[in-house]
Amino acid sequence: MFKRPYLKLFIPAVMAVMVAACSSSPSGSLTSSDANAPQDKSVTLLFNVQSSSIDPHTDVNYTAVRAGVGETLVKVNKDLKLEAWLAEKWNSKDGQHWTFNIRPGVKFHSGKPVDAAAVKASMERAQKLNPSVKNALHIRDIQANGQILKVTTDRPFPEFASELVHPNTAVIDTSSTDALPSGTGPFKAASFRVGSELNLERNDQYWNGEVKLKQARFLFNEDANARQLAFQAKDADIVYRPPIESLDLLKADSTVKVDSLPSLRTHQLIYNMNNNDLKKTAVRKAFDHLINRDEIANGIMSGQGTPAQGPFLSGFPFSPAYAMKKFDLSAARDSFKQAGYSVQDSKVKTPDGQALHLTLLTYQSRAELPLISQLIQANAKELGITIDIRQVDNIDEYLAAHQDWDLATYSSITAPRGDASYFLNAAYMPEGALNYGHVHLPKLEAVITKLNRAVNEEQRNKLALEAVSMIDQETLQSFLVHPNNVVAYRNYVHNWVTSQSEYYLLTQDLDVD
Amino acid sequence: MLKSIAKKLLELVLFFLILSFVSFCLLKLVPGDPVRSILRVDDVAVSNQQIADMRSQLGLDQSLPVQYGKWLVQLLQFDFGQSYLTQRPVFAEFMEKLPYTLLLTGGSLFIMLVIALPMGTMAALYRNRWIDNASRMFALIGSSIPSFWLGLLFIEWFAVKLRILPSMGEGTIFHLVLPSLTLGLAMAAVYVRMIRASLIESSGQDFIKAAQARGISPARIFFRHMFRHSLVPLITVFSESIGSLLGGTVVIEVLFAYPGLGKWIVDAIAARDYPIIQGYTLFMAVFIVCINMTVELSYRWINPEMALKEKRPS
Repeated sequence: MFKRPYLKLFIPAVMAVMVAACSSSPSGSLTSSDANAPQDKSVTLLFNVQSSSIDPHTDVNYTAVRAGVGETLVKVNKDLKLEAWLAEKWNSKDGQHWTFNIRPGVKFHSGKPVDAAAVKASMERAQKLNPSVKNALHIRDIQANGQILKVTTDRPFPEFASELVHPNTAVIDTSSTDALPSGTGPFKAASFRVGSELNLERNDQYWNGEVKLKQARFLFNEDANARQLAFQAKDADIVYRPPIESLDLLKADSTVKVDSLPSLRTHQLIYNMNNNDLKKTAVRKAFDHLINRDEIANGIMSGQGTPAQGPFLSGFPFSPAYAMKKFDLSAARDSFKQAGYSVQDSKVKTPDGQALHLTLLTYQSRAELPLISQLIQANAKELGITIDIRQVDNIDEYLAAHQDWDLATYSSITAPRGDASYFLNAAYMPEGALNYGHVHLPKLEAVITKLNRAVNEEQRNKLALEAVSMIDQETLQSFLVHPNNVVAYRNYVHNWVTSQSEYYLLTQDLDVD
Repeated sequence: MLKSIAKKLLELVLFFLILSFVSFCLLKLVPGDPVRSILRVDDVAVSNQQIADMRSQLGLDQSLPVQYGKWLVQLLQFDFGQSYLTQRPVFAEFMEKLPYTLLLTGGSLFIMLVIALPMGTMAALYRNRWIDNASRMFALIGSSIPSFWLGLLFIEWFAVKLRILPSMGEGTIFHLVLPSLTLGLAMAAVYVRMIRASLIESSGQDFIKAAQARGISPARIFFRHMFRHSLVPLITVFSESIGSLLGGTVVIEVLFAYPGLGKWIVDAIAARDYPIIQGYTLFMAVFIVCINMTVELSYRWINPEMALKEKRPS
């Protein structure tokens, strides 16, 4: 084929160019000369989820709040506790009638003052446009008078204030005719390119004082490698979730800081209670012993995960002091024996002499879940348990519509707004939309029902703690790992806070020098 | 003439009706619906009753013919419906994304033509010489490299190392270069060999030999006869490429954070956002029909013999 000498060189030459391009060269690495702060007090943040809208009431990616354009009445602080934001204070004696004092002196970007009537209009718009907000808030009536907003829910709903943390409830000027939302945050939306970028300008009239940055850009890219390259190309100063394999390179660079904090998300193993084996607590406990959480966090997730002992991070007041859960084959065998299963030659058989054969569902959109499934499968094999892994496209749809599975990996944010009741209601009440395992434990349901009526925060935390302890005792689900939020940023970026809630990214304190 | 146009229009309406019905049925055959996405069950406490209520509110619990009928009635009023998730009109969202996709399609085809036309022509003219071997190698490598990897290589070269082009986004002509190059190169790899094969096939035709015998200059033979004759099969494939580029560039759109139709429709399919999927199917069908009609017309211009054949009684 190649009759000329130069053609024989063609393939090696092409290969060499490609290998050279793949390897990190000095110009591609992050050297100190690259680390020059922008001269115009601006920051570019590259986020990992694309937004096709920045309407805070409908955008499922919450870009308006994340980018500091919109603000809610209530926020969660870094300790994951509720904090006043646009509402100065609030109270409710019965959990159904709520009074919010709207902070005086706040203005929308349009210049219009924020009063209770404006908040009412914004809330009504959010409910009209977003069925999810309507369902979440349970509002029956809103009354506005000056800076006092009175809300009545359709039933006692003590977690109402917590639900107002939801970024889809951000307060905007509904009378503004501008195509971009007019919020109250430290940044005004200057321009928005659908799915590509949001350009922001400082809000000089910000109610909470000085905004340090003059401008900011909020970019989107859903490909981790492309985000990493954009960061290297200096197209971004802060990059959200760079690829895990690039973390060593980033950490080795003195001009880059890397934050890695456990997120509010929890990867779980759901047991289908319709399965006769998994109905038994001891069998579920045996499977829990087969989970190697350290291997998941450090091996599969390359250290970017924190082993989960329960549904919530340990910092929450409703998270009990767990006994550390460890991968333990002999404890698994003991649990099977306790359930009446025979364990011979290290192999487990059901009371009627059958080998255990289960189906485990997983899905690809969280890349670590199929690998975690394989690890569980391999560990179960040690006890002669056969697990077939089946991958599905849409796990929620599948779990809701089918019963031909026994175990399922799942992932959800368990306390997105600092309150346990969302997850407890959704995952453990018979009518809960996330109760895919058909959990039905009357004593747990009674505690959750009490929690749903309790107004006092201390009492709520106590009840939630009781419910979570019960879930742990019964091993109603196994909780595997909290994946970490990983953010890399240049060292000239100051006051960056990697928020566990991921709701507040561009803030008034963010600065460059 | 009028009768023929009316007949053609009637055929088109029938075609769109069948297409919309089939796509509607196929959508409904796929398990799941958009209710869980709309209610954000992964973020907000929702009960199964609320899911059922929402399903009923959207009419998703009605029979398939009723749902299709309602959609069709809306369509006859030129109302393509609203996205379940964003609550925005489907037509507005489509028109928002369309210019980006058209630009990317145009850019990719331009790059493809700039590479494939000269390379394919040279390969045909200098058969089995080094340029032919090089084009073969280019075709082999180009069609073997996954486009997302090629895109990453380009970002590494042009954005990180040389810093002459933006790594992602849109807004200027420079933003269009890397995604167009990625798509265009992959396509060029296929077209180079097709152009070569088509030109070689044309060069063996009797009318070329006759032209050579008449002493017509090689340049004139090439451009007026050989090249023109070889265009017919190429344009057919070219029209198919346009169709696939109009919605099939999702990988490149994700890589370069480019807001085109590909990502839009893939997200809509994942969320079962039926109005968007139905609207997109219909818009794309109109586009493809228009492209095919243009191609048919171009055949007559490229090869007048076709028009003559149609006029002659058989």
